[in-house]
Amino acid sequence: MGLSSVSINTEDLQFCVFDLKRGQYEGQELDKILFFYPADLPFPSQLSVVGLSEGLITFTSIFSPEAPCEVIEANRHSHVFYQAEADIWMVMVVEKSKEVESVWRIDALRKVLKEVHSLFMMFHGSIKSLLMKDPTGGVVRSHLYTFIMDYLSDFLVGKKLHLPSFRDSLKERGTIEMLTVGREVAIEVQSLVRVVESCGGNAQYHSLLMFQDLLVSTTLCPDDTINLFAYAVLRLTPHALSSRQSSWSYRGKGNSRSSTEATASFFEQHSGNSWSGDHRSILRPLQHDRWSKGKDGFLVNDIWHANSGNSTSSTPVIYLQQTEERMYLCAYQHRSLTLLFVVPVSSIINAEQGVNVVKQLILDNASLKMLKVEEKLSKGWGGENAYHVPGYRYLLVDVDQNISRASPPAKVDTLTKDSLLSLTKLRKEVDIEKSRARWDSPDHDRDLEICIRAKNNAWVIARTTRGKELYMVLENANETVLYASDAVEKFSNRYCNGAFSLD
Amino acid sequence: MSAKASTSQPVVGLSASGALSHAYIKYPPLRCNIPESSGLFYDDGNKIIVSQANNQVFSWKIAPFTPAIAPTSDSISEGPILSIKFSLDGKLIAIQRSNHEIQFQHRETGETFTQKCKSESESILGFFWTDCPLCDIVFVKTSGLDLFAYNSEFNMLHLVETRKLNVSWYVYTHESRLVLLASGMQCKAFTGFQLSSVGIIRLPKFEMMMAKAEANSKPVLASKDVYIITVYGRIYCLQVDRVAMLLHSYRFYRDAVVQQGSLPIYSTKISVSVVDNVLLVHQVDAKVVILYDIFLDSRAPISAPLPLLLRGLPRSSSIGIRSNRKNGDNSEANYLSDLEAIIYGDDWNFLTPDLICDVSNKIMWKLHLDLEAIAASSSDVTSVLEFLQRRKLDANKAKHLCLAMSRTVILERRPLSMVARVIDVLVSSYAHSLKTGGYFKGARSDKMATSSAPHENILSAGCMASASGATITGKSFEYGTACLEGEYFQASASSGTDLEDISTAVYFRTDTNIGTSKVPIDTGIQKIEVQPPSLQTDHDGTRNNLSGTSVSGMQEPQLTSPVISPDEMYSFVFCPAEEEMAGDPSYLVAIMIEFLRSASSEKIKVHPNFYVLTVQLLARNEQFAELGLFIINKVLEPSREVALQLLESGRQNRQTRKLGLDMLRQLNLHHDYVVSLAQEGYYLEALRYTRKHKVVTVRPSLFLEGAFASKDPQILAAVLRFFSDFLPGFSHTSDHKIYYHLLTDITMAPVT
Repeated sequence: MGLSSVSINTEDLQFCVFDLKRGQYEGQELDKILFFYPADLPFPSQLSVVGLSEGLITFTSIFSPEAPCEVIEANRHSHVFYQAEADIWMVMVVEKSKEVESVWRIDALRKVLKEVHSLFMMFHGSIKSLLMKDPTGGVVRSHLYTFIMDYLSDFLVGKKLHLPSFRDSLKERGTIEMLTVGREVAIEVQSLVRVVESCGGNAQYHSLLMFQDLLVSTTLCPDDTINLFAYAVLRLTPHALSSRQSSWSYRGKGNSRSSTEATASFFEQHSGNSWSGDHRSILRPLQHDRWSKGKDGFLVNDIWHANSGNSTSSTPVIYLQQTEERMYLCAYQHRSLTLLFVVPVSSIINAEQGVNVVKQLILDNASLKMLKVEEKLSKGWGGENAYHVPGYRYLLVDVDQNISRASPPAKVDTLTKDSLLSLTKLRKEVDIEKSRARWDSPDHDRDLEICIRAKNNAWVIARTTRGKELYMVLENANETVLYASDAVEKFSNRYCNGAFSLD
Repeated sequence: MSAKASTSQPVVGLSASGALSHAYIKYPPLRCNIPESSGLFYDDGNKIIVSQANNQVFSWKIAPFTPAIAPTSDSISEGPILSIKFSLDGKLIAIQRSNHEIQFQHRETGETFTQKCKSESESILGFFWTDCPLCDIVFVKTSGLDLFAYNSEFNMLHLVETRKLNVSWYVYTHESRLVLLASGMQCKAFTGFQLSSVGIIRLPKFEMMMAKAEANSKPVLASKDVYIITVYGRIYCLQVDRVAMLLHSYRFYRDAVVQQGSLPIYSTKISVSVVDNVLLVHQVDAKVVILYDIFLDSRAPISAPLPLLLRGLPRSSSIGIRSNRKNGDNSEANYLSDLEAIIYGDDWNFLTPDLICDVSNKIMWKLHLDLEAIAASSSDVTSVLEFLQRRKLDANKAKHLCLAMSRTVILERRPLSMVARVIDVLVSSYAHSLKTGGYFKGARSDKMATSSAPHENILSAGCMASASGATITGKSFEYGTACLEGEYFQASASSGTDLEDISTAVYFRTDTNIGTSKVPIDTGIQKIEVQPPSLQTDHDGTRNNLSGTSVSGMQEPQLTSPVISPDEMYSFVFCPAEEEMAGDPSYLVAIMIEFLRSASSEKIKVHPNFYVLTVQLLARNEQFAELGLFIINKVLEPSREVALQLLESGRQNRQTRKLGLDMLRQLNLHHDYVVSLAQEGYYLEALRYTRKHKVVTVRPSLFLEGAFASKDPQILAAVLRFFSDFLPGFSHTSDHKIYYHLLTDITMAPVT
């Protein structure tokens, strides 16, 4: 594979971002590389990873110019490709070791690449636009470095990065987990949302309302919702704020999250190299423990304030993906309720003062409603096991709406390794089927039904039908396939409005 | 009626001060002008005005108030007349001849008899007929009350009961069935009796407040300074305190009389009227009237003092006086020009609740409220709407005003919180009327939705019958009215010991018995079992209105209540607003959400059209993600209409179309679902569904055409095979033949 075996003894992961358009001439190849992890890998090794990837992309795009290369399965490694922007590629190389722990699902890894890039775009804008501003690439390199390192530190367990493995096969990154609310509460929530929206007058305010780590309502477009939701779960929700004593989170990070010291040392350990640049002057939105709740209920941070030399505002500015509009991001928290709202930068004349006026306006108009909504949601909240269905371990994905729901992590942990491995295998198959169907008929969803009797006598089931996917593990179940399909039918009728019981 | 007077017809008030007023009297008045007549007597028990001339009594019915009405006459024997009152059944005429005797005359037979005081020391202050079960007529004497029952067999009265106490003077209104007896040096100690249909209730003694001008002078309270008024089914007494320049109010409960605060007065001579439960305090000297709505505890006037106006005067009469004179209509013109002088003239006599008797001109005026002017004079939309929602007399007008105002606040893009309050007022008023049955029209339509067709025909036929029956039999009609008034009692029954508690209980029983179907026929049946309400049995205003309904309500149905149903909100507020508001619909969506919030908190159903409009607005703004959220959370309740709109609005958005499909499926609208599924190209799925749910209404050609158009021989073959297997006799139809050939053509064709 051309990788130096010495360098990967301790690291089973390599992660790079590169630009195909850069470094076209011999001797300048290093210019292509915008980010590389591990950063202390000697340049020749880095170049060989990037070179191989680039070669494969170029080669495959002869046959499939639209979507050149998704993955290379080598003997000891898997190369996962993700085209982030035109010419900008992200590649992750994971080792296939003997350890069972490193059984990956490629799609899950690609979702990681997609997520980090989307979040990066949200805070910094696209890589292309950064390169346009600073053709040397210095700015984008230091931004990417701090950002991705901060992002990866979330996967740190002890001293090792734990990427989504087969244990996470009942999770779907890049989707939103929603709180199910009754009609009456939903109307109350909408009433609150409209009040916030109306505070903008002619300027278009958007809001995102969360309860615990679950989404309640959004007026943003789906992509922005996913990004903001992901960021909120990572850093803003009450769980994220109290990460140290956190016990539970839907994303399952609470249990395995390492301490701040460890992440800090992870960052330090890899800094001081050519890629990091002077990271002290760089915005680090994903840095840990920089957000806290202020006296007025608004969340405050010392990220933007400390770092933004040119701006007097400590309010984060984000880019909306669809409109590329710059927005101030404000977060208000009342107990378990988090209200994120974004305000167009163009609508506010003097940054800090203007934002404070808006905050006060929203507080005046909406705080009573927020109290009411929080109270109602808390009353109806079934706790962390609210969506547990006894006997089932499931993952339900609505691909159209980007919504997923799954058995609580604690319950998934009770499954045996065999079941999870089988499920991962099954999901891989479904992923392949799906991507084939996508090319065959993009407007026509295919129905799919797979039931597997695993080695440990568990039923592992996948169902897809018109934009909805259901994955399920039934352990200690009856041995007939009829039983398994009955179980799916029951589940579908009870929890999915019969979406999977069409015939 | 009044709408015409204030809008379409130019207001030609003769008052020079301008046309602005909140209360007015309307031309023409009721003329009680019989030649050589003397005296006008008001019989408030029967709502008639009585005059006498040449041994004849003439009586004009004033409820409903129709100026053109002709009097009925009875001949009576000669003699002085202090007062005349007809018995409540209209069979007897009672004429007080002196302080000691009252003469009775049977109207049909002409037989007479006389009832005199037993002793010379006492004198009769007055008398009134009553519908109390114990007695028929009550004499108020200086020595107390004498209660008599009429014996028709012997044509005489016999004494039932005597209540001994010293009486200086008394006030009584039939409306409240309450007699207040004044006694003491200052005449400020009062004893009250209520002679209602459930019996006699004696109220505790109480004293009225009198401020002293000087240390030694003690003002004496006169009967003209005390008024009994009935608003919202509650009984109040208003007392003028000339020294303090205050109008004290007392509220009567069953076991207590509670002072309720005072209103300032600005004139030494004042009078009060009640129009549609609004208190009008006439400041006679200042020639202005102040309006109060004492529904809540607020003592603030509804609006600034303004003069009382005469409206509806024909234009020709003011401009063309000269020409009129030429035509010899001299007296009329003179008469009209005199009118200005007599507004709040000395000869005006204010009769309960809302009449003015001009004794010298022998004419009767009825007071009206100008709801439009009242609405226009306040900037507080919420409180104006609350006020309008409580109006019953001119419900049509109040309703139109409410609709117009709510439309305006939306079109003017007022702050969301304010519009939300406006909506809350209207919705909670509607919910309240549903609970109490005031809005029986809405309740009936609800019922229709759930009941089978033949049943509802019978029901509505029954309604018609009972409605016409009600106008004929006045008595039963009265109770029906009272039942409609039930909501007021509920509203006023805040303290447990309210005087009108008995009636509240009665109404509640009525309500629970008949459930939500508040059609008149039901109330009609119920009143046989239900005891007639005890205290304020008739609300004249409402009765007027209702009896007006049966007469003139052919074209535009007269309303008994200005409440606005969600359907009307949709058609008269949201639809017009949607048409007129250009651009970003998010403001309107926000308001519609507020409406939904309000409706859901009151548990009111909203018509699917409303949801359809919301879907349209969101789709127009391309807020498909939010639309999805609305559907998933059922903020927009699922219905066929909404589902079809989702399919329609989702033409550019697959997710939205899918939501529509899912909704059809969840609603078990099999036919629509299968057709839509096929239109989306899911032929096999649709067929599987057809088989599972045995949908037989879908034509095979729909699938065959679609499958053929898809150019996929596999699908076409599968569809053909499906019908051959599951549709008996399909293989002999022309469809089978045609598509079988087409299929072979496709499969045989060389692959390109």
